[in-house]
Amino acid sequence: MSTHAEGRVFDIGYQRYEGPRGGREKARAAIFKDGVKTALGIGRGWRSKVMPWFAIFAAAMAALIMAIIVITIDRVLPDGTISRDLLSHSDYYQTASIILFLFAAIVGPELLCPDRRNGVINLYLVRPLTRLDYLAARWMAFFSVMLAVAWLPQFILLAGLVFGDPDPAGYLRDNWLDVPKFLGAGFAIALYVTTLGLAVAAFTTRSAYAAIFLAGLFVVSLFTINGFTSDTSIGIDTRKWIALFSLRDIPMFMDGIIFSNTTILSEATAGGWPAQEAARQHPNALLVAWYTIWVALPGLVLWWRYRRISG
Amino acid sequence: MDTLDSLLAARSLTKHYGSVVALDSADFSVTAGITGLLGENGAGKSTAIKIFLGLVTPTGGRAEVFGRDASLEIDMRSRLGYMPEHDCLPSNVIAAEFLTHMAEASGLPPKQARSRAADTLRHVGLFEERYRPIGDYSTGMKQRVKLAQCLVHDPALILLDEPTAGLDPGGREEMLDLVRKTYNEFGISIVLSTHLMNDVERTADRIIVLREGRVVEEGRVSSFTSESETVYVDVDERREEFAAALSAKNVSSRTEGSSVVIEDVADDLYDRIRDALAESGASLRRMGPRRHSLIEVFETDDVNGSNAAPVPAGEPEATRNQAA
Repeated sequence: MSTHAEGRVFDIGYQRYEGPRGGREKARAAIFKDGVKTALGIGRGWRSKVMPWFAIFAAAMAALIMAIIVITIDRVLPDGTISRDLLSHSDYYQTASIILFLFAAIVGPELLCPDRRNGVINLYLVRPLTRLDYLAARWMAFFSVMLAVAWLPQFILLAGLVFGDPDPAGYLRDNWLDVPKFLGAGFAIALYVTTLGLAVAAFTTRSAYAAIFLAGLFVVSLFTINGFTSDTSIGIDTRKWIALFSLRDIPMFMDGIIFSNTTILSEATAGGWPAQEAARQHPNALLVAWYTIWVALPGLVLWWRYRRISG
Repeated sequence: MDTLDSLLAARSLTKHYGSVVALDSADFSVTAGITGLLGENGAGKSTAIKIFLGLVTPTGGRAEVFGRDASLEIDMRSRLGYMPEHDCLPSNVIAAEFLTHMAEASGLPPKQARSRAADTLRHVGLFEERYRPIGDYSTGMKQRVKLAQCLVHDPALILLDEPTAGLDPGGREEMLDLVRKTYNEFGISIVLSTHLMNDVERTADRIIVLREGRVVEEGRVSSFTSESETVYVDVDERREEFAAALSAKNVSSRTEGSSVVIEDVADDLYDRIRDALAESGASLRRMGPRRHSLIEVFETDDVNGSNAAPVPAGEPEATRNQAA
């Protein structure tokens, strides 16, 4: 019996496509996926990876250091009780928020500016999606990345707080509400920096200009407003209104409302952020309304900039 | 033309940018094949294309794509491809990755998108270079990526805006060959917008000429380049004797390079040319009626008072500006 070698001809090269085609939903998903990859530098050269991953590393390190601190410090008091107020998830946001803001300032514009600068937006807008589909997908992509960057270090810190406690199960039982709290506070920060960052990016085709402007806005307003609000010669009724204009502190007002309890660390560093101290003179409803305005207004500006854009 | 037959149709299409009229009640349709959209810079070609793609809203009239309103139907864009005139490529992404993304953005599933990206890059001759960042590509290679991105999702119709812009003569030839091959082998209809008449003449089956936002000519390219009443006769030697013999037979002629050009409509013209050749002893190399080129068509229009301006490819910029 003889065997015959079987050959197969592969027709390589361009061919007509008869498979499934998605509509706007698939197009939006593709823009979203590309936005996440752009934000993290995936599929791009090493230069595109440096800043996002350095910021993620720095944010994670801040959480890791705090976790190591709570693990190494003996929290059993002489009377046998356990001290659990050394530091909290709120302290992490207070400490690392500037990293999150700088991450947003540097990475956020990368999702919008290059598309307009090099004309890729012209290719998107002739595909089955609208300008607002494109914008929503980009916004969602960066918001997702910001959420991950804000939340992941909190889980590192949570691990430190749980396993550094003499009674891990007891810690979880007593503090399980911290999880939705840090998720909520992280959500508030991510929502704010995503919308503000992309709104600024909508005004220029150069990512560097938007990044410098945003970073400057956060840093300058932080130090200027905290400088004013630390000046006790100015009456508290004036200082509490000035405090509202510290752009870095606006989402931290939400953090303060969500985590109302104080810790040893927050007590020790309270003097560092007088704008937040001054702003606490306002009712929570006003702080929430102020935060909402600072999310809604940049959102509207972003929509207005893109509603007629064509590359 | 029946709406069902036309891939694109402009119905009194009008677009104003403030006081500037880009399109002025333009009426035309595009059927299967390669259609050249010809006109000088500012004639309204790019505006028309952008209206069909939904990038620009018309001031008046209606733009139809596959028989449906271009400004309302978004999903049909998955069957359209667009190659813009200007830069539209990211520099820090590799070509394979970019094309995969563009295919997905047109609605293809990820696996098929990846496979088609590779196949399309092979089609445009960039398969070996597909893992290089686009920023490292030459101008010609970038033009090929631009063509590839508009083909990757297998559209029924592609609109190419000045596809040979910035290319050297060799690159231009290759691009036009690719355009022709795309229709001939895969049946993808093409609208080729250009101000270079040679590109249209070499590539297109039909032609639509826009001037100041209006359609001034429309028809098959062959109808513009039909045989003229001019006869070209190339002889190896004794050209003067041949011309004298023609003159003796009352056939007016002139010399143009190595050819003797005869513009006559006499019924027995070829008999008289034959006799003049025999009497002069000139040896015939080639003889035949001459075809009009598109350039001549528009040069004639220019002489007649209109300001036709599409220019032959390769003309120096000063000549182009003069023509414009």
